[in-house]
Amino acid sequence: MGFFKKNKTRRFSRGPDNLDAEQRNKNDQLKTSLAENMMYIKNTLGNSDDVQTRQFEIGKGLTIKCAVIYMKGLTDEAAIQDFVLKTLMTEVKNTDLEQKIVEGPQLFDVLKNLAVTISDIQDITDYQKLFEGLLLGNVIYLIDGQDKGMSFGVNKWDERQVSEPIAQSIVRGPQDAFNENILTNIALVRRRIKSPALWLEMKKIGKLTKTSVAVMYMKGIANDKTVEEVRQRLKRIDIDGVLEGGNIEELIRDGGKSPFPTVFNTERPDVIAAGLMEGRIAIFVDGTPFNLLVPALFVQFFQTPEDYYNRSYMGSLIRLLRYGAFFMALLAPSIYIALTTFHQEMIPTPLLLSLAAQREGVPFPAFVEAVLMEVTFEIIREAGLRMPRAIGPAVSIVGTLVIGTSAVDAGMVSAGMVIVVSITEIASFVFPNYEMGIAVRMIRFLFMALAASFGFFGISVGLIALVLHLCSLRSFGVPYMSPLAPFIPADQKDALFRLPKWKMSSRPRLINQENVEREQTPQPRPPQPNEN
Amino acid sequence: MKRSVISCALIIFCLMTMTGCWDRKELNELAIAMGIGIDKDGDQYVVTAQVVNPGEVAAQKGAAVGRAPVITFQAKDKTIYEAIRKITKESPRKIYSSHLRVLVIGEDLAREGIGRSLDLLSRNQELRTDFYVMIAKGMKASDVLNVTTSLEKIPSNKIFYALETSDKVYGPTYKETLDDLISTLVTHGKQPAITGVVLKGNEHEGAPMDNVAKTDPDARIKVDGIAIFKKDKLKGWLKEAASAGYVITTDQLSKGIMHVKCPKGGKAAVEIINAKTKIKTKVVNGQPEAFVYVRQEGNVGEVECHIDLTKPESITQLEKGIEKRNVELVKTSIKEVKRKYKIDSFGFGEAVHRSNPEYWKKAQKNWDKIFVHMPVHVKAEMKIRRVGTIGNSFIEEMKE
Repeated sequence: MGFFKKNKTRRFSRGPDNLDAEQRNKNDQLKTSLAENMMYIKNTLGNSDDVQTRQFEIGKGLTIKCAVIYMKGLTDEAAIQDFVLKTLMTEVKNTDLEQKIVEGPQLFDVLKNLAVTISDIQDITDYQKLFEGLLLGNVIYLIDGQDKGMSFGVNKWDERQVSEPIAQSIVRGPQDAFNENILTNIALVRRRIKSPALWLEMKKIGKLTKTSVAVMYMKGIANDKTVEEVRQRLKRIDIDGVLEGGNIEELIRDGGKSPFPTVFNTERPDVIAAGLMEGRIAIFVDGTPFNLLVPALFVQFFQTPEDYYNRSYMGSLIRLLRYGAFFMALLAPSIYIALTTFHQEMIPTPLLLSLAAQREGVPFPAFVEAVLMEVTFEIIREAGLRMPRAIGPAVSIVGTLVIGTSAVDAGMVSAGMVIVVSITEIASFVFPNYEMGIAVRMIRFLFMALAASFGFFGISVGLIALVLHLCSLRSFGVPYMSPLAPFIPADQKDALFRLPKWKMSSRPRLINQENVEREQTPQPRPPQPNEN
Repeated sequence: MKRSVISCALIIFCLMTMTGCWDRKELNELAIAMGIGIDKDGDQYVVTAQVVNPGEVAAQKGAAVGRAPVITFQAKDKTIYEAIRKITKESPRKIYSSHLRVLVIGEDLAREGIGRSLDLLSRNQELRTDFYVMIAKGMKASDVLNVTTSLEKIPSNKIFYALETSDKVYGPTYKETLDDLISTLVTHGKQPAITGVVLKGNEHEGAPMDNVAKTDPDARIKVDGIAIFKKDKLKGWLKEAASAGYVITTDQLSKGIMHVKCPKGGKAAVEIINAKTKIKTKVVNGQPEAFVYVRQEGNVGEVECHIDLTKPESITQLEKGIEKRNVELVKTSIKEVKRKYKIDSFGFGEAVHRSNPEYWKKAQKNWDKIFVHMPVHVKAEMKIRRVGTIGNSFIEEMKE
């Protein structure tokens, strides 16, 4: 054991790499000489060709050397033209600078107040800030003789329009989905909750990517301790890059080794809004349409926004169907294996005869048959996702022919097994959230192995282990299986069933502990005679 | 880390050691036996297993190639267990009897005693004990199992469903599963009875597939008669009327048809839809006395006589007729059993045991003798509920 311990405490030392420059310019202040500053910037960026610099002179009589620096493609060039260069070069040129100021620090303020017609201006005094702004797409404005500069927020780049959700589509309900811009995404949620209690904290994560990550919650509804916990966990993150919410999710989630998702992700603003109003905390990550929601509970992965937009009967029944599909996707092949290889006495006689007839001449044991089919299906599914779109139909035709007909006709697999595998795979698409489907797909193979070696006994032991595991999970302090375990009677209104809206007067108890009351609308009813 | 490894090892250890009667076997390694027949040859048992050929039975397109839907395997040995296992000398697959539908016992073996041959069948974990036990009337069990049948491709299934259905809609058949039979065998005060099965027609014509190619097969199997046992030995067969009485007395009748003579001649048939029979006993002056109460409900099913069904009196007349017929049937069957076999097949002894345990203790030893002289009073009550979709029969109108 000592060996492992030693290994654990050893830290990797950071080797000399390109981060050195970054470390160095953290403390470097801007120089007074423009030429020196320009040199420094060029050196640091390695003379990259997409860095655009423009030097010019302003003022009449007394002329002052200036420069703007920006990144091509990240900056709104029209805005630079209209609001930076034009004002500075034409309008300031006509102003008699000599009369207004002489030199020194006043010049900076005069230029800032007089000449630039842009609202988002930041003063920069050190190189760290300079590069931060420059690489975000800001325009850096440097003046000769000044040891500080300005950063104009005119960044603009091409991005996807707000469009329909791709992974989580519904029939009835809002049809807009997040895009890759964090500010657009936040706006989509703000547009839904016009409350001053909707608070937002933004920070940059990732040493290289410096990705914006925002924590959003309803002050007074969300549990302050949970908010603090989210802050702490985000603060602990120390990585190079954040390219997707998944990078953040993996570093802040509970139950690190569990296959089950303990952080909810969605591309739907209405789901985030509903979660916020229940007291959950949203984490937005720049550059991805999939934003996170914590704490995430097991039952949450079986809920769709449509459950709440349709009448409650439909919501409840469909939800039950999803739980049924969960067990089917998890257990159908293993139960089939257990029944046909261990417990033939449990199959009704006519069905047994029919299954036995199908198995005549099938060369593999049921388990091998099932694994073959499942793996084939997984391959087809993966191929369907990865292949270029143009050859999609070809793969699906070959796939269905191979799986569906030829395999049975050739006597490689039994027809019953094809049915079971197809039902299983289709059932695993029922979950509104892709993550839960992934978990089920993985565990299914474990159950198949258990069923093949021990029959129903193995499946039972597996199920017990699964339940124990699920009950031991927590998501940001909230038991994963709540409100089922621990059983919370009041929260059953929105767990297995979805009761009518007027019955949902309180917010989920474990997620929100301060502001429990949600609504008090009475059940709709016809006008009473003694009312007016 | 250490803990999870230990717990995983424990789980696997438990899985390996705590599994009960498990045995991995693929479906195509099984010979699914639907019927088993047991005969005696000298001091050896002859076991006949009727095994399904699944490819021929299942409704799968193109799978059937015209072979027989079942195969019978036979083996002879000192014990039944040995004989069943000996079958594998001939059969490529092990006999799997969880789905056993019928157990047919040859009459010769039944006369010698069936007790010993039932032990394996109730002891082995593979058998479900909910199959029907039958006696091949006047023939060998193997003869009954060697017939091909149409409609139900599997002969054992055919016998099974014939018994089920006739019990449900006709009446005077008697079904008994293995566990019922064993519990009767060990009960004092009731002797077992088992339904019979018989091959009609030419038994040598029964096996070929030609048999099922005909609309009127040369050989048919039929559920017929009730075998009366003393302990585990067959004593004789009840005739049709006596079996009907037997079924009524032992409260085995659920539904059935019963005919009645009309007051002015002719006959009418009544469908019994609900029947209940109770046996009560009394001991008066040290002498037992039994009462059989039959209560039935029914509908008029067929009228072949002149009777005005619109009048309540005629309904009452019919009811009285059925009641009389019930009493008759019960009395006939009790009389026949008393006279011919001198044993209590009806369970009167059980009723005495229940009502007069003190008396039973003394009488138990020679109960069969006491039973023969015990007076049995029969009372029947019948209610006719409906007369069908027409009122009076059109025969009534044809008269004019």
